[in-house]
Formats: sequence, C-alpha cells, structure tokens
Amino acid sequence: MATSMVVQGVLLVFVWILNPGLIGVALLGAVLFSMFTMGQRVLNEAAYIRIDHKVNELYLASPLTAEGYFLGMSAGVLLVYLPPVVIVGALAAVVVHLSVAEVGLLLALAAAVWLSAASIGYVFSTAFRDMRAIWAYSSLFFNVFGVLPPVFYPLDLFPTALRPIVLLMPPSAAAAILQSAIGAAHPTHGELLLAAVGLVVEAIGLFAFAVYWARRTARER
Amino acid sequence: MSDLALRSRDLRKVYASKSANPVTALAGVSLEVQRGERVALLGRNGAGKTTFLRIASTLLRPTSGSIQVFDVEVDRHPDKVRPYIAVVPQEGKPFFHLTPREQVYTYLRARGLTRETAKARTEGSLERMGLTEFADRLSITLSGGQRQRAMVATVIATEAPLLFLDEPTIGLDPFARRAVWDSLRDLTRRGSTIVLTTHYLDEADALSQRLYIIERGHVLVSGTAEELKRSVGGTLKVFLPQGAPSVDRFRGFGSCVTDGEGLTVIVAPERLSELMTGALGLGLTATVGPVTLEEAFLNVVGRSIDED
Repeated sequence: MATSMVVQGVLLVFVWILNPGLIGVALLGAVLFSMFTMGQRVLNEAAYIRIDHKVNELYLASPLTAEGYFLGMSAGVLLVYLPPVVIVGALAAVVVHLSVAEVGLLLALAAAVWLSAASIGYVFSTAFRDMRAIWAYSSLFFNVFGVLPPVFYPLDLFPTALRPIVLLMPPSAAAAILQSAIGAAHPTHGELLLAAVGLVVEAIGLFAFAVYWARRTARER
Repeated sequence: MSDLALRSRDLRKVYASKSANPVTALAGVSLEVQRGERVALLGRNGAGKTTFLRIASTLLRPTSGSIQVFDVEVDRHPDKVRPYIAVVPQEGKPFFHLTPREQVYTYLRARGLTRETAKARTEGSLERMGLTEFADRLSITLSGGQRQRAMVATVIATEAPLLFLDEPTIGLDPFARRAVWDSLRDLTRRGSTIVLTTHYLDEADALSQRLYIIERGHVLVSGTAEELKRSVGGTLKVFLPQGAPSVDRFRGFGSCVTDGEGLTVIVAPERLSELMTGALGLGLTATVGPVTLEEAFLNVVGRSIDED
C-alpha cells in the first residue's frame, strides 16, 4: 500500500525543495494522480488473475455478471489503495485551506478520474496474453500521462498551444478544474469548459465501453 | 428442471489464427449427461476436453452446433445458464493473498448466497477437502496440492446443479485425490451432476458412472468403464516384455498391442494357459493382470493416453 505512493512522494519532495509555494497544488495533484494510477493496478490485477490464476473463469462462469466482476475488482483495488490517498487528501485540505465545496469538488473529480482510469485499466488488461510486458507498459502509460501533464504543477506553466491535449486527459483535466477553483491556475472559460466536458464524457464513455467490453470478453471467441 | 443436465449436438470449435492454420479442437461432439450423473471426458492432451468444458461453461463460444444445459441454449442464453453451473478451471490457482476460508466464502457471496449459508457451506467444504487445518493460511504459503484442493473446495461449496471440473486432481497426492472423489460422489448423491475431464485412467474408472473417450475433437466411444473394458475382447491382459517381434504368434488369442519391444495380449481366461505355454516355449517372460481402462483406451484410440 505504502509503495503505491512512492512516485507521488518523490515528486512532492522535489516540489517542496524547488518551490514550496506549489506544495498545495502538488498535494492535490498527488490525490488525482493516485486515483489515476488505480487504473494501472486494475490492469495489473485483472491481467494477473486471468493469465496466471485463471480465477476469472470461476467468476465469469457464475451468476455474477461480467460488469459486476469488473466493478468488484476495481472497487476492491480502490479499497486497498485508498487509505494513503485519504491521508494525502486530508493534508492537502489543511495546507490549501479547502472549503467544503472545494472538498466536494475534489471528491467528484477524484471519482471521475478513478472511473476513467479503472475502465482504461480493465479494457487494456484483456489485450495481454502473457505477464512479461504488463508491469512495464502499464507503469509507463499511467506514470507518463499522470506526471508529465500539469497535475503536480499549475496549468499556467504549461504551453498554451498544447493545453487542449492535456485538458482532454482525465488527471490533468481534473487538476486544471481544481487549480482554477482554488485560484492556483487561470484557464480560460473555453479551457475550463473543455476540461469539464471532456472529463465527464470520458468518465461516462470509458465506463460504458468497459462494461460493454467486460461483457464481450467474458466469453472468448 | 430437465432430467438432461447437458446435451450437445454436433458441437464444433475451430480456433482461427492470422499467423497459422486454423485448429479444429472439436469436430462435431454430440453427448448427453443425465441429471445426477458423474461423467468423465477422457482423452489425451489436446483431445478437445477442455475446449468442450469451456464451451459448456459459457466461457467460450462454439463455431457451430448446439449445446444445452438443463434445456437452456448455452450460446444464446449464457446468463440463464450460469446460476446452474460452477467450474474448476484447468490449472486454476486461488487468490494468493486470500486464505482458503476467505476464498471460498468470497466466491459464495459473489454468487449471491447469504452470509449464513456461505459461512456454513465454506466450513463444510473446507472440511470435506481436508483443509480445515490450513483454512486461515494465505494461499501463497500452501503447497500445490493444497491450492488445488482450495479450488475444488471453492466450487463444490456452491452445490450448483451442474459442476464442471477440468483435471480436478492434477498434482494431488493419492489421499487428496480420494478426498476429492469422495466429495464428488457425495455431491451426486445429493443431486448435483458432475462433468470432469481427466487423463488419469484410474480416476475415470473409479469416479465416473459413464465416460466418453475423446480423440482429436471426436467422441470415439461412450459407456461405463466396465462396458469399455469388456469391449476389449477379454478380461485378462498378458504383457510380454520382449514379445513384440513375435506378435504374429499371438494374434489368434485376442487383440495385440505392441509398445516398443513389449507386447500386450488381451485374452479370455479359458485360453490363458495355452497362451502362457506358447510364450514360455518362445523363452518369453510374461505378467498377467486384469484388463484395465488403459487397454480399453489403447483399443479404442490406438495409442496410449500419455503418448503425444
């Protein structure tokens, strides 16, 4: 559980050393990044259970629905890895002085990021046929898309021309909305709208596709 | 509920591949299993047993043909079939970070059983599988045999009307195998139907009430173990370790199968003395024993069950 916070911890230390004024933004980013990397853990877990243990067959050939299996596994992963995220979230709330409404916004954004990431993770898990590549690729995917975009640092520091790209990625879209809410970044109305609509559409769309995909892959062809 | 637990008609499965030629795993399998029966699908590795079981248990779609579980079409209505079945996958392993008790209980709860029922069935199943002593140890610390027993315990605890077990006793010691067999017999006494695959001839003999021999995607023969043994043409087998070169001298006694230098002759008891006299006359040594499923399998398939 603690090892799941290594990347976030290292980045927070760097931010603390290089620019302590951004620690609040980085703490909020750590929460959103942690929710995004839940997708990596869902991917690893789902693939491992299917390829190495074959226990998925036990569940898929039972009254439990395929989407129930996907959601149950994702929720299980969330429960296991949530405690340190809650601690970081509480720390962020104290450091940034989040209002109740902002805490509510953080929770909603974290939920949307988790839903997107878990869906991506489950769908991708079905593409692998052996375990060798999974650890490396899943780690690469989720760390690159969770660290390079403005998640741990303000959107204002990111080139304007490239913002539409990062505002369509769940963790950086959520971070932009949150940073805007606390006054740490100043996106335009258009950028904010793009981030909000993109995040909602992605969360719902990816979840719907993951449910469809879970049903489809419950039976091999 | 129908008296027919499982019925397949001309079931075919062809695995298509972009990089290689298509592989026909099932080439028209038709079989029936009555409710409450224990039926074994016996065959060599790659014969099509697991493919059949995966299709029957809703995990794989057939290429053509039909298969029904309690009169429900599996391919068309998998959701309606699943409450009636439970499956032990081949080489399945329990969750390493759950104990056997947690694994069985969690699975039963996921199937929708109440806490009380799940708890009672978990304890009963662990006890039947001889796992009570290890019930609270993480599965990662268990031996291969104990893990396999945990998988079987998980599935028999469901008491589902139709249980599919793919090589359920692989890797088990003789004591554990008998524990599994006893549990399966007990389940069928209580009304469940069991379909298992195996390439252990003694398991098929001891456990199944009826068996199907499958080879290269075809059902070659079905019947009870005794019927299959009788079909060999005698009740005794004589093994002559250096008899293969003299096979023509023994063809008149019954079916002969050579295996390297060795020769096995199936013979009726009344002709045993004559055969032994002939063998000794040739300076051959011989061992005599009852016909087993091994000879029946050889007779039907034309090669040993262990032969690749």
